[in-house]
Order: sequence, then structure tokens, then C-alpha cells
Amino acid sequence: MITSGKGGVGKTTTSANLGAALAKRGHKVILIDTDIGLRNLDLVLGVEKRIVFDLVEVVEGRCQVRQALIKDKRFSSLWLLPAAQTREKESVSEVQMKQLVVDLAELADYVIIDCPAGIEHGFRNAIAGALEAIVVTTPEVSAIRDADRVVGKLTDAGIPLRLIVNRIRPEMVKTGDMMSVEDVCEILQAELLGAVPDDEEVIDSTNRGEPIVLDETNRLAAIYDKIARRLGGEIVPFTNLSAPGFIGRLFTLWKAG
Amino acid sequence: MMRAFESPAASSQTVGAAGVARAELEPVPQRAAARGRAIVITSGKGGVGKTTTTANVGAALAAAGKRVVLVDADVGLRNLDIVLGLESRVKHHLLDVLEEKVTLDEALIRDKRSDNLYLLAAAQTREKEDVITAQMKALIETLRDRFEFVLIDCPAGIEMGFKNAVAGANHAIIVCTPEVSAVRDADRVVGLLPNDWRPELIINRLRPHLVKKGKMLSVEDVNGILRLPLLGVIADEPNVIVATNKGEPLALDATSETGAAYRAIAAKICGQDVAAPTVSLSGGSFLSKLGSLFGGRA
Repeated sequence: MITSGKGGVGKTTTSANLGAALAKRGHKVILIDTDIGLRNLDLVLGVEKRIVFDLVEVVEGRCQVRQALIKDKRFSSLWLLPAAQTREKESVSEVQMKQLVVDLAELADYVIIDCPAGIEHGFRNAIAGALEAIVVTTPEVSAIRDADRVVGKLTDAGIPLRLIVNRIRPEMVKTGDMMSVEDVCEILQAELLGAVPDDEEVIDSTNRGEPIVLDETNRLAAIYDKIARRLGGEIVPFTNLSAPGFIGRLFTLWKAG
Repeated sequence: MMRAFESPAASSQTVGAAGVARAELEPVPQRAAARGRAIVITSGKGGVGKTTTTANVGAALAAAGKRVVLVDADVGLRNLDIVLGLESRVKHHLLDVLEEKVTLDEALIRDKRSDNLYLLAAAQTREKEDVITAQMKALIETLRDRFEFVLIDCPAGIEMGFKNAVAGANHAIIVCTPEVSAVRDADRVVGLLPNDWRPELIINRLRPHLVKKGKMLSVEDVNGILRLPLLGVIADEPNVIVATNKGEPLALDATSETGAAYRAIAAKICGQDVAAPTVSLSGGSFLSKLGSLFGGRA
């Protein structure tokens, strides 16, 4: 599951791009949007016009799960199970959610659960079927405090977690106006899965419904690919965000390794 | 530069400790001449700037001489105290008041910069389901007797926390960023608010250079869908992150353009005739995509 506590830190963007990066590597991936009532993963993937059935209808037995899965046209092994837009999060129970994830795990190598913001019913549903968690946070005090709450809840639930630090602005880290990735990992006491720089192209890619990993010329494509490999257990060195061609500034975000 | 983290335990004071806190109480303004307005700041989508907006509009209203209380309704994930730089002064919170463990006066935290700005913090180690809607409503009613403005910082989403935040309010400000997902969520929230409200819109984090390049929705794109009275437009600037980390709202920074935009919003809320926002670039390139999403309401 992809979670964060705080909203707007990039859970849905991460879900879409990580899913696409895994699919590009040939893995079968199912993305589940659990943000019932406020779905957005369909938009980020650009499949909003192709939704016929949704998660709630699957859970209520009104359609087969295969009927509700939307196959991405760009990646042959990526599917989306969209959330219902006009229902409430209480429409689905934790037990139903758990069963759904078990069923979907039969069909795919990876089931990625895009969690809603907050720690209410929607969060408890998303956590129900998850075997491991990715906590997305930005290097801001408020996001880290919320992430800390979520890390506590995941730990209580016995779910292992790794961290993606999103929207890093290296120039602000350098001037001391933003926390570094190391600071964030230190505060949250969590293992780093990936560090993603802030990129204006992400906003446009979301509006167009084309995950940024489709653009091979964008540096984020390589970064998400590395995250996908780490997720599969590979040991991949972290990208040095100060490498030439990035912002041209000489400083290091991470110590080697 | 960065501030150390508060232990969540800091907020879990016992009733017995309340007597100690009483000695340090700041005077709280009693009865306003007329009942205040209770405005909920909401968005649907998280991370679009509800808390930043609440802090800045509140600080700007207080700087204009209004008596203002900010209520953090994000039980379990509070942040308004951080944005205001008051996190080390949170001793009691909203649930303590609702559960009558402390009085309202004991829980209200006076802002360090302004005599007429107060914060009622959220509980950090409790759940949103612990708040009883009727009690929340009664609390906001009480606050309206004592303050001219009660600004309620709503949590993300449309679950119980949203319902509680809206319960006592009589007006709403919708915060939306120029992104398709934020506009869709905002549209959903407007549909959930009482029919007789006329929510006002703040468009946050606009990047004019991206709008110009056709890579970001324009003010017209966003409001072409939402069709709400426009209260203001705030440009994206890295200083907001810095200000949040420092706990100093930009609205109090006389040299900041963003601060000036928040002060203009506050003046507009007070009924002053303020010039329309100038950050407006024509776009329209996204309208067809947006239109297909909002066949229902728009």
C-alpha cells in the first residue's frame, strides 16, 4: 500500500508511476484506488472515461472483478481497479477489502493500493489487505509529523514499511530551507526506498493523464525505475540528485550507498 | 532552522494538571458585539493548502483588528499549531474541551504575535470518530459568541472529520490548486455542503509561467468548472514552505507579495471592496478535458 497521512504529498502520483515502472519491467501490476468518493488515480492514468464498474460494485458482487479492471493501453500488464466516486468509504468493510486484495494477488505480481489521505475508515480499509507499505512524505514539518503518525499505526499493525521522500528541492536543502532526505529518514527511523525531486512536469503529466515514467527523457523515469527494482529486492544505488545535468549544483544529498 | 518534534504525549495532560496551566492563562476576549462568522476552510483533496490558508487568513484578519479563533479539526493529524509556530504551547485540545476535561479558556492558545488571534488545537493521539458532531456544533456556537471570526481548518477527505468540521460552520472557503484532481475533489465537496451556502474560492499555488505555457490550468479554467465567487489567487512560492517550517505566517510579512494577497483576502472577507486578483492569465486549453469530468454539476 502507498500511504502518507497528509494529503497532497504524491500518493496517487507515486502509485501510478511505480505501477507503470513495474509494468514496464514486465511485471503484472494491479493498481487499486481506495479513495472512495474522491478518486483520482483514474485521472493520473488517463483512463477516467473508460470506467464502467468500480471497487464497491466488485465488493458488492454486482460485477466480476475482471469486468471492473481497466487495462492500460500503454502497458500490457497494468490494470486499474477504480474507486467509486459517489459512494462513501464506509461502503466497504475491512474484511471485504482484505478478501479483494487476496483475490487480486492471484492475478498479479504486484497489487498496489493507493490509500486516501488521513487515518480514518479509508485508511483502515487500505491497510487491511496490505503486506507491506510505502510511506510517501515531502520534506516538510507538517508532512513528516503526519507520516510519523502513520508509521506508528503501520508498526502497530505489524506491516513493514519503506519510505519515499517526494518533491525534494535540492537548492532549498542546500540553503537550509528544506530538510534533507537524511533528516527525514532520521526523524522517521525508516528505511529509504526512494527519493524523488520536485519536477514541474509532474503537474502537467497529471493533467494530461500520462504518468511521467512514459517520458524517457525525464529524469524521474529513471528514478521510478530504480524504485521499482528496489521494491523487487534488488540493491540499487541511490541517484545523486546533484549529478551534472540536474541543477548543476555541487553538493550531495546522500552519502554513498 | 528546523524545529524539533513534539512528543505526542505533550498533549495528553490530565485534568489535574489543568490547575497549573490556569496560572499562565492569557486573557481571552469575552462577548463580541454581534455573533461571529464560522467559516470552514475545506478542499476535499489534501495538501492543497487548507492549513496554510487558515493560518494566513486568520493572521491577516487579526492584524486588521478582528478577534479571530482558529480551530484545528484535523484530529490525529494536527498541523495548524506548527504553521503558527505554537506547537510547544499546546497543552490542551479540542477533545479535552468537548469532553469537559478543561474549560475553553484553558485550551485556547493566544498567538505570540497578536493579541486577538487564538488557536484551539486538535488532539494528536485521538481519532476523528471520538468527536461527537452535536458537541462540535455547540462548541463553534460558543466561539461565535466570543470571536468575530471562527476559522475551522478541515481535514482532507470527506469522512467523519469533514462532517464534524462543517457541522458548526455557516460559511465555507474552498481551497483548490490548478490541478485536475484538486478541481474534481473540490467539485465533490461543494456538492456535499448545504445547498444554501455560497462557498467562496481561493485558488492556491498558481504558477503563472506554467499557465502561460499551457501546462497548468488557469484561474478561468478552474473557475469555469467550479463557478464560485473568487476570493483570491495565491501564487506558488518556495517561501511558503520556509514560512511553514518556521511557523511564521507570510500574511504578517509586510514585504511578501503572498502576504499581501492574504491580506487582500482578509479585507474582502470583511466586506471591503478589493480589486480583483491580478494573477489571471487566460488559458482554456484544459476546458474540454475538465468538461468531460463534470457533466453533472457544472
